[in-house]
Amino acid sequence: MSQDTLTHRGTVVRLFPRISWRAARAMLASEGRLLARNPGVVIWTAVLPVAAAIILGSIPAVRRPSADLGGLSFFQVYQPILVFFAITLLAMQALPDVLTRYREMGVLKRLRTTPVSPALLLLAQLTLILSVAIVCMVLMVVIPPLGGAPWPRNVVGFVITYLLGAWALLGLGMVIASLFHNAKVAAGFGSFLFFVMQFFAGLWIQRPNMPTWLRHISDYTPSGSAVQGLTDSSIGHWPSALHLVVLAVWGVVTSRLAIRFFTWE
Amino acid sequence: MPVIEVSDLRKVYGQRVAVDGLSFTVEPGEIFGVLGPNGAGKTTAVECIGGLRQRDGGAIRVAGMDPADEGGAFRELVGIQLQESRLPDKMSVGEALDLYASFYSAPHDPAELLERLGLIEQRKTYFARLSGGQKQRLSVALALIGNPKVAILDELTTGLDPVARREVWDLLEDLRGTGVTLLLVSHFMEEAERLCDRVIVIDHGRIIAADTPEGLAASVQADQKMSFVPSAPFDLAVLRALPDVHSVSITAERVVVTGTDNVASAVIIALHERSISVGRLRVDQPSLDDAFVALTSDDEEAVAPERTAVR
Repeated sequence: MSQDTLTHRGTVVRLFPRISWRAARAMLASEGRLLARNPGVVIWTAVLPVAAAIILGSIPAVRRPSADLGGLSFFQVYQPILVFFAITLLAMQALPDVLTRYREMGVLKRLRTTPVSPALLLLAQLTLILSVAIVCMVLMVVIPPLGGAPWPRNVVGFVITYLLGAWALLGLGMVIASLFHNAKVAAGFGSFLFFVMQFFAGLWIQRPNMPTWLRHISDYTPSGSAVQGLTDSSIGHWPSALHLVVLAVWGVVTSRLAIRFFTWE
Repeated sequence: MPVIEVSDLRKVYGQRVAVDGLSFTVEPGEIFGVLGPNGAGKTTAVECIGGLRQRDGGAIRVAGMDPADEGGAFRELVGIQLQESRLPDKMSVGEALDLYASFYSAPHDPAELLERLGLIEQRKTYFARLSGGQKQRLSVALALIGNPKVAILDELTTGLDPVARREVWDLLEDLRGTGVTLLLVSHFMEEAERLCDRVIVIDHGRIIAADTPEGLAASVQADQKMSFVPSAPFDLAVLRALPDVHSVSITAERVVVTGTDNVASAVIIALHERSISVGRLRVDQPSLDDAFVALTSDDEEAVAPERTAVR
């Protein structure tokens, strides 16, 4: 009787007490409707990288292999970076923003007073955000080939890397939402991490041009390993075991941290 | 059989004892008030009863269930309206009720509930556009949508203007007789006086009084208080000599007299004999407000030295 339900152990135990499909559908529909009424975040997230990928793919010069980029074309280097640009923005900014605001507003605590768990709301948000990210990714992969850019040659490797990378980044977003209870602080920290992630992904210095030591560090970040895995897959190789393991470890560790530290109030 | 039974409830935060041995019972259909100054432990106590916080000692049964088990069955039976809880700005009233209805196995019909709470015209209005009173009525609706046996309403009218407050009170009065037991947390005495069948007053985590609102008011201020403007000056000793009078004083132009229940007629008759008439007469009934102030300030004096001694 001495431990408090608000301790994290209590939260874990009651994370999934009972899933009601009727409630899950209603929650997903409701969150989807709210997202459609506040489309700003999604539009801002999706438009920039998708447009950049499509424009890059349509310029023939960009598709030629370049010795400066280790024999890859500019498009091959930047398409994976842009694919991860979208999901990083969603995971580092949109996700912690909406969850910390729901906590501040008392929405999560109010859900605790009902037969369904507030975890259902987290699942609905994760589902929506992952769906938006996947739509962006598909647009960035499918549209450029219409203008003559190459398809990813190893689609299976591409999808596996993408999903593991999405897990690692969404997990990191959940950790931000767990650690910061103030929506503005969470947003600030999310922006900072977004730029860190983009740096290691190679937005400013492409991975082939990074000094070896920097590339090694990048290999152990979720964005660096994910971008390398996608690049390998798009030129027909399999992503290296190192990069997949790095992503899986980030996914496991961030998920466990988020479950341990996330609180409803 | 009581629907809520609390015995010796205790809750401790670190060194601070928030709830220190509360015991009370609530009968089905009652509107039961939990009163007390800010920080008295009211919210902590009802959050333990509502299964949102784990208690550190004592026993609680709500409709035969222990809230500490916090199962789905318990949540079906108990609706809770939390202090300062908002909804997303762009969620409409109807959408919120439909969503919350989907969480329960046998919910109220949302349309009927909206009708009863006077929100039917706001059905398509976004949460952000509702007035303060409408937001609180929606909050009550969400606490009732699951058809609960017990609804816990915490500081329902705090921050509302007097008109909105009355709207919410009317609504709760309408709920009387529907069989729902209401546990009302408040620091508004007027609210308790108007709505509650019985109240407890909590201070420093302990019950310092338990009665009907009228009983509580009468028990604390035994003296009647009257005041008036006399038609001519007179010697106050005349009144002091009366057996029913306990004290006499003068403020500005008014004479203030306290005494037994008969003090008003005794004073009027005594002055009439001296051909002095009593103008702008006021006789104050003891109110729950007076009782509350008396109770909680007495307690302060009694408890404060003891506390310093302990530390």
